[in-house]
Amino acid sequence: MLDVQKVKQRIAELRKLPGIAPKSISEILEENGFTRRDFLKWSGALAVTLGLPASFAPVVAEAAEVSDRLPVVWLHLAECTGCSESLLRTDAPTIDDLIFNYINLQYHDTIMAAAGWQAEENYEDALEKFKGRYVLCVEGGVPTKDGGEYLTIGPHAETGLHKLKRTAKDAAAIIAVGTCSSFGGIQAAAPNPTGAKGIHKVLNKQVINVPGCPPSAKNIVGTIVYVILFGQLPAVDNFNRPKFAYGLRIHDLCERRGHFDAGEFVEEFGSEEAMNGFCLYKKGCKGPYTFNNCSRERFNQHTSWPVQAGHGCIGCSEPDFWDSMAPYEEPLANHKFSSVSADATADKVGITILTVAGVAIAAHAAISAIKNPKE
Amino acid sequence: MAHAKEATMKFLKVLGNYLGGIEFSTGYRWQHWIRAISIFALIATGFYIANPYITFGTISPTPTRFLQAELREWHIIFGFAMIGAVLYKTIYFFFFPQAKYERASIKDAFNIKLALQQIGYYLLVSKHPHTKGVYNPLQFWAYTMLYVFFYGIIITGLALYAEVYHNGLGGALYPFAKWVESLFGGLAYVRLWHHIFMWAIIIVVFIHIYMAVYNAVFGKNGGMDAIFSGMKWEKEDH
Repeated sequence: MLDVQKVKQRIAELRKLPGIAPKSISEILEENGFTRRDFLKWSGALAVTLGLPASFAPVVAEAAEVSDRLPVVWLHLAECTGCSESLLRTDAPTIDDLIFNYINLQYHDTIMAAAGWQAEENYEDALEKFKGRYVLCVEGGVPTKDGGEYLTIGPHAETGLHKLKRTAKDAAAIIAVGTCSSFGGIQAAAPNPTGAKGIHKVLNKQVINVPGCPPSAKNIVGTIVYVILFGQLPAVDNFNRPKFAYGLRIHDLCERRGHFDAGEFVEEFGSEEAMNGFCLYKKGCKGPYTFNNCSRERFNQHTSWPVQAGHGCIGCSEPDFWDSMAPYEEPLANHKFSSVSADATADKVGITILTVAGVAIAAHAAISAIKNPKE
Repeated sequence: MAHAKEATMKFLKVLGNYLGGIEFSTGYRWQHWIRAISIFALIATGFYIANPYITFGTISPTPTRFLQAELREWHIIFGFAMIGAVLYKTIYFFFFPQAKYERASIKDAFNIKLALQQIGYYLLVSKHPHTKGVYNPLQFWAYTMLYVFFYGIIITGLALYAEVYHNGLGGALYPFAKWVESLFGGLAYVRLWHHIFMWAIIIVVFIHIYMAVYNAVFGKNGGMDAIFSGMKWEKEDH
């Protein structure tokens, strides 16, 4: 049950811990032009995103304010840093970005000031100092083939596999940020030469997957705030994704859904149908197979998202999406199966077998008509 | 009354002695035809759902156009009709007393000699073998595979259904749907396999129709009529 009192207790405990930032988060927000009112509006929206009643808005605000007390170690494995970039590299920082910048980030390759041996030292110190308390966020898949030697990090050429296992051992919670750390991502696409996998495949602890390429800032910050609020992991679906974000399909809440049900489809990009905002299913939208809240939360301060911009969903928060969702601009009916023919769709293979069967049947019928079967 | 010898139509005459009886009960025949009609309706609507072949270029003046939704509804109606027929036939096969001749085919199915003789019959080199049950070994395994495909398409179909209709039956099936989704590795794969099972069924149905016609043409025992009237006719063994 949702118990505001318990949450308040937890926040009070966290408040006692030292923060890292010289200024409090509310001060930083103010400096960046956000009023207290903006912040509370954001807190209300995040409470709703997390599936909490609106009465939770004030405690969400408190949780965000103490978020610099929760030590976070961020590991970069086989990835493109797109997930970090999506959060950090915005021209007008959102509250999500700022919260993310000022959580007690003990180690993060991209944004930490330290480099080289100093960075290594910080890392080892954080693991020791916050043993059993830190939240581990992992970005990127983990190559496992040949002992994981396709990914080595740092001066001792430690494999990503080893570093991940070592860091995960004493983590209080593990969050896989992005599709690569959740399911392997593009590295794991066929033929997967490095044996890349989602991190949950090599760890024996529960991992919360926050997939997406990249996942929206809301979903990353939402998961972290949830951990701060409740001191436990959010409820998850069958692929360990938080239900508050991945409970429904893109298709279920899509603004173009009416056109789908009406049979109004875009046949060509740039056509009249496209201008009318028709459904993008025939141009390869994978919304019907993809669980995410993009159609509700959108990206960049709720400004837009792919389907609004006129391109179908490519299913980036689903396991194996590089393989299972291709081709991206054609419906799944045109999925190419690896076979002797490069463009073998299920329909082409089916029609070929049917044709062969038809020819064989015609020949068999003709021969049987001339030379009757034995009675 | 009209005795055979005084047949009104000149091409009718006494042709030896036949044994006759009900091969297919009323329920059996209904489930066969419900299944048959459903399969064709499901193929037509299914191809539409896969890649809509009727679309509109203009916005409807009133928001009352529901073409995709309607065709999807028919797909679901026929889908549940097919599920009913498949379940009836499955229960029939395992539990109905009349199905003992069907069950007797299980023994024949593992008789390699019988299977080779059946292949020989189709290659026009040997006589039709005598089987204990109603199905010859090739037929038995073809139908077994057909039911694998049926249950495959039903399981994937219900998983896809539950994701669209979250209440009622869809809600009750939701945990099962999630299990299926995990098993196949995502809803996209569930969808791909649903399509592959359809093609497998199309191919089996195509061959089934040919074999039924073939046996009607060359068996000359009214074999094709049995699925309409239920009557099977066989020459008495002398």
